Amino acid sequence: MSVDTVLQRATPSRRRALPGQLLGILSDGAAVGLLALSMWLITRSGAQPPILHLTFAIVGVRALAIGRAAFRYAERLSSHDAALFQLAKLRADTFTALVPRVPGAIESSRRGEILATFVDDVDQLQDHPLRVRQPLIVSLTVTALTVIVVAIASPVAALILASVLALAALVGAWLARRIAGQSDRELADARSGLTDALLDRFASAGVLAAFGALGAQRARIEAAEQRLARVLLTRTRAAGLTGALVALGAGVASVATLLAVAPQAGEAFSVPVFAAIVVVPAAVFDVFAQVFAALTARRTVRSSAERVARLTAGELPSEIPVDPIASTPASAAHVAAGPAAATSGAAPGAVPAAAPAGVPVAAPVAAPVAAPGSPLLEVRDLSVAHPGGDAVITGLSFALQAGELLVLTGDSGSGKSTLALGLSRFLEYGGSYRLGGVEAREFTGAAVRGFVGLCEQQPHLFNTDIRQNLKFAREDATDEELLEVLERVGLGEWVRARGGLDAQVGERGALVSGGQMQRISLARVILADFPVVILDEPTAGVDQLVADRLLRDLLGAIPADRAVILITHTDLPTEIPVSARLAL
Amino acid sequence: MKPLDPRLLRFAGAARSVFALGALLGVVRTFAIIAWSWFLAQAIAAVAIPVYEGLWDSAGAGRVAEGVYAPGSLPWLAAGALAAAIVRALAGWGMDVVAARGAVRVKAQLRAAALDALDARSPEATAGTPDAKLATVLGRGLDALDGYFSGYVPQFILAVVATPILVATVLFSDLLSGVTVLLVFPVIPLFMILIGLATQSVQGKQWDQLQRLSASFLDVVEGLPTLKIFRREQRQAARIERETEEYRSRTMRVLRVTFLSGFVLDLAGTFSIALVAVTVGTRLVAGEFPLALGLFVLLVLPEVFVPIRQVGAAFHDSTEGLAASEDVFALIEGKDMPEEAREEAREGSSAASADEPSAELAGREATSVADRGLARPTPASAPPGLTFSDVRLSRGGRPVAGPVRFAVEPGEFVALAGPSGAGKSSLLAAALGFLAPAGGRVGASGPIAWAGQQPGLIQGTLLENVALGSNTPDPALAREMLDRLGLHGLELDRQLGAQGSGLSGGQAQRVGIARALYRAEAVGADVVLLDEPSSALDAASEALVIDAARAEAGRGRAVLVVSHRPALLAAANRIVEIAPAEPTAALMHAEAPTQARAEAPAEAQSQPEAQAQPEAQAQPEAQAQPEAQPQPEAQPQPEAQPQPEAQPQPQRQPRVQAQTPDPQEARS
Repeated sequence: MSVDTVLQRATPSRRRALPGQLLGILSDGAAVGLLALSMWLITRSGAQPPILHLTFAIVGVRALAIGRAAFRYAERLSSHDAALFQLAKLRADTFTALVPRVPGAIESSRRGEILATFVDDVDQLQDHPLRVRQPLIVSLTVTALTVIVVAIASPVAALILASVLALAALVGAWLARRIAGQSDRELADARSGLTDALLDRFASAGVLAAFGALGAQRARIEAAEQRLARVLLTRTRAAGLTGALVALGAGVASVATLLAVAPQAGEAFSVPVFAAIVVVPAAVFDVFAQVFAALTARRTVRSSAERVARLTAGELPSEIPVDPIASTPASAAHVAAGPAAATSGAAPGAVPAAAPAGVPVAAPVAAPVAAPGSPLLEVRDLSVAHPGGDAVITGLSFALQAGELLVLTGDSGSGKSTLALGLSRFLEYGGSYRLGGVEAREFTGAAVRGFVGLCEQQPHLFNTDIRQNLKFAREDATDEELLEVLERVGLGEWVRARGGLDAQVGERGALVSGGQMQRISLARVILADFPVVILDEPTAGVDQLVADRLLRDLLGAIPADRAVILITHTDLPTEIPVSARLAL
Repeated sequence: MKPLDPRLLRFAGAARSVFALGALLGVVRTFAIIAWSWFLAQAIAAVAIPVYEGLWDSAGAGRVAEGVYAPGSLPWLAAGALAAAIVRALAGWGMDVVAARGAVRVKAQLRAAALDALDARSPEATAGTPDAKLATVLGRGLDALDGYFSGYVPQFILAVVATPILVATVLFSDLLSGVTVLLVFPVIPLFMILIGLATQSVQGKQWDQLQRLSASFLDVVEGLPTLKIFRREQRQAARIERETEEYRSRTMRVLRVTFLSGFVLDLAGTFSIALVAVTVGTRLVAGEFPLALGLFVLLVLPEVFVPIRQVGAAFHDSTEGLAASEDVFALIEGKDMPEEAREEAREGSSAASADEPSAELAGREATSVADRGLARPTPASAPPGLTFSDVRLSRGGRPVAGPVRFAVEPGEFVALAGPSGAGKSSLLAAALGFLAPAGGRVGASGPIAWAGQQPGLIQGTLLENVALGSNTPDPALAREMLDRLGLHGLELDRQLGAQGSGLSGGQAQRVGIARALYRAEAVGADVVLLDEPSSALDAASEALVIDAARAEAGRGRAVLVVSHRPALLAAANRIVEIAPAEPTAALMHAEAPTQARAEAPAEAQSQPEAQAQPEAQAQPEAQAQPEAQPQPEAQPQPEAQPQPEAQPQPQRQPRVQAQTPDPQEARS
């Protein structure tokens, strides 16, 4: 079911696919027709009729010759265009389907698997229209049409042709199932095994070199390589055998037809028609061979689709929050007051405007706002759990007013980061969690994240320049503002030394040290200007000697009416006014 | 466009015999095709002529009935055709299998050559290239060569072998048809060259873009949590769609040209059939041609164009692989690295080759691998422990550390501190031999055990990770090291995923340290280097790391720990503090011995004194500076700013002490 949904995403609309299919039928039909008609022409010529009687065949042969090439060119362009057009939607749709599950549900996924699944598998899916559907539709249609045309001349020949085709199809399918059936999964496993071994080789290059383990890793890579080679060779043997079957089938059909219908030549049908019927199997089997290739491609595509489906379809674990059903913009609007609505923006699709008078305000509320009288953020008896695990956080209660600083401390494994994920609505919570007096569940996750900003412990930097890594936090920020923020987090000189905002950060911030990565991440949070800011170990990896200054800078940069939750395991500088401390 | 890349063929050395066998099978298959066409043509003629004989007038039909067999010979003609079909099928299958074997061998050779080149280089050499890209180049990129070696090369051989045989057959059968084919043929290469030139230039760009797009897709997926925090996930889907849409329009422009080659080949094939059919037909009508021969020529003719048409198609399928092979050659030839690094790599590889045979011994491995970067002098010539003598380091011509001068004595536990970007990790890289100093010398008296900032775990069991580099893993020793770091709950046979997935950050970090401790014990390391070993740990776990570091020093090893954590700094015998690299002046920053120095081994006492003297004297004001005093206004971010020489270097060590009372002091 879900696999079909994934495949459906990869399939172009009928409107886009149809021209390619029609052109394909015309092209392959022309190929069969060309062989049959030229055979007819030569055999007919042997009877030495007046040349005028051959004019039709001569013109026809030339037209089919040109038509075959021209239709094929047009078909390839048309079908590739349709498939690539669909790839854009496919990638975007697959990504969108992945969005709710990250980071809550796929946190522990292996990096190699994500690489294989979302680069290889998603791109592999474009073979579904191109190498599965298109050739299946075209070759089966042309084969069937040919058998019908042959049947008009000689039912016996048609019967022979159809029987041999059916037999070849059966034997081919049986062969493919027997030899290659289970090697699909093996192939995928073998490929990702090799990718993982190579990734380990490069991502852990320093460790492997320092520990003299490069040789051992080479052995692993070679083992993975040999496993892949074995699987590939098994598959080639199967695919090659199907190819041999096609060649043999064409021969058998021709010879059988020759022997069976030769006595009728010149009686039930003319000699030129006999010649055409005898050679036509060669052309038909050429066309029919695409079915085997398509079925092979279909298996590969389906196993890709299964892996994509596993990551993107199916039930969301109950620990992953689901947005409340979106209501119309008019009723979704919440009376916006205070700085929050102005600065945090609203969830996509929601309109942060005052509801027209008389329209009842209904859930989901567009965005949390600071409500006078109630705490900005309040949790009571809160519990948070990872999918499939026990609650790491239980029975937690605190309230936070605007301008307050709450410091949460705890040891590794005490659930500090889990709490951060829960407060950011990446994980579902138990108990009560209110923002501006309204239960957080009533907002969309995005709306909560517009109100509560999380500065991750391990921030991700995108493989682009510093400007782009900052600007996505606030799109309208000018270069001056970006530089000012960088100055604030202590990167002013650093960014100037690197040649400004155009400096690249590398893959996963490879060209940036751990401390600088944190600073860039902090700069993003400052730019985004959240009413509530959660800092998850902001000084991890940052020099303790400047961590105090950094914390002072950061806390000082946040307007006084904002609330800050600082998750840390280190001591704070004494002069920082802490509103409350809580140990997890 | 080269029909065969000479570099690829050079690496195809072991596959040459395989391809020769493929060519032989190709010849067999070609003769089977010719035999099949002959038997079938004769059979049809044998049926047709008796029927026609009644139609012709008494004068006969000229040469039409020439050489025709009697209707009675139909069964053996059919049997011959069937036999030819069977031979053709078997030979074709054999060619496929042989070609796949060849492709596997060539890929293995190329991958091995690239890995040989990379293994011989310092791991720093590829630091600028994303890991995923390297994995893609040697994984999927090489798999793209399948199309080249199991598709294109065999078809190319077949085209070279079979086409002349088939053309000669047509020529021999009928001069006019043969000439028609020969006239059509030169048109093909002409078109192919023009189209191929256009294609390959665009294809290279396309592969670049494909890689960029695939990397950016991965980047977005990995950054999804960050994107969600800033509510940008929706825009990303749109961006992916936009980029792919752009990819489509670019690709279609390429394909319009690329598919033209297929069109030309198709047209050449079908049109020569039409030409021959029409000319043979008219000559048959005129009685100038035997029917059987006409049928034979027509049946053979399509086969003439099949190999060259398949070469075209196979080449189109393999261009992606060819573009990828460029990346592999760049790795093999070291073109991806800056000139300077390549220089080092060359020296490194020549030195390493001498060590290779003895690399099985665990103890030997440590030195042989570290020697590859050639940054360190041989252990014998180095003073005991770890010494940095006026070391300056640069990456890509940019100074990253130094000049730095200090030593870690055996039995000493030294903390290396300094702001972010001061080059602390680079100094460790230099000690490991990954980074050749731009000036000065790094010396270590024996094998080094190291735990980097990234755990760098690999797929495999926990034991395999902890005992990395050891041919005979010692489970008891691995257990002991894990227990020392509080990882009692982790079973040694626990399976970790790629990059150690399945462990928490704190666990992974401690496993990385346990691995270094194991190595220190297994190879009898003289030096232990730990880079930010407690960055992901809580206080309790950090205490265990401190205990471990002390224990290592207690065993007589020189222990150098990079850290910013007060507890770790306080626990060290002394702290060496470095400032960001100073490009012009030889500015080095003082190490300030703590009170703990009194407890340090006797040798260590004199050593730091001697080294610290000049620098400490050069900056007396700095030391006098009160800790609480704010940093000068003009210089709010000390770690980010290269210090002008004249400016006093703020002395931070006392401040650390002020914040965190030295536990040892408290004890005394």
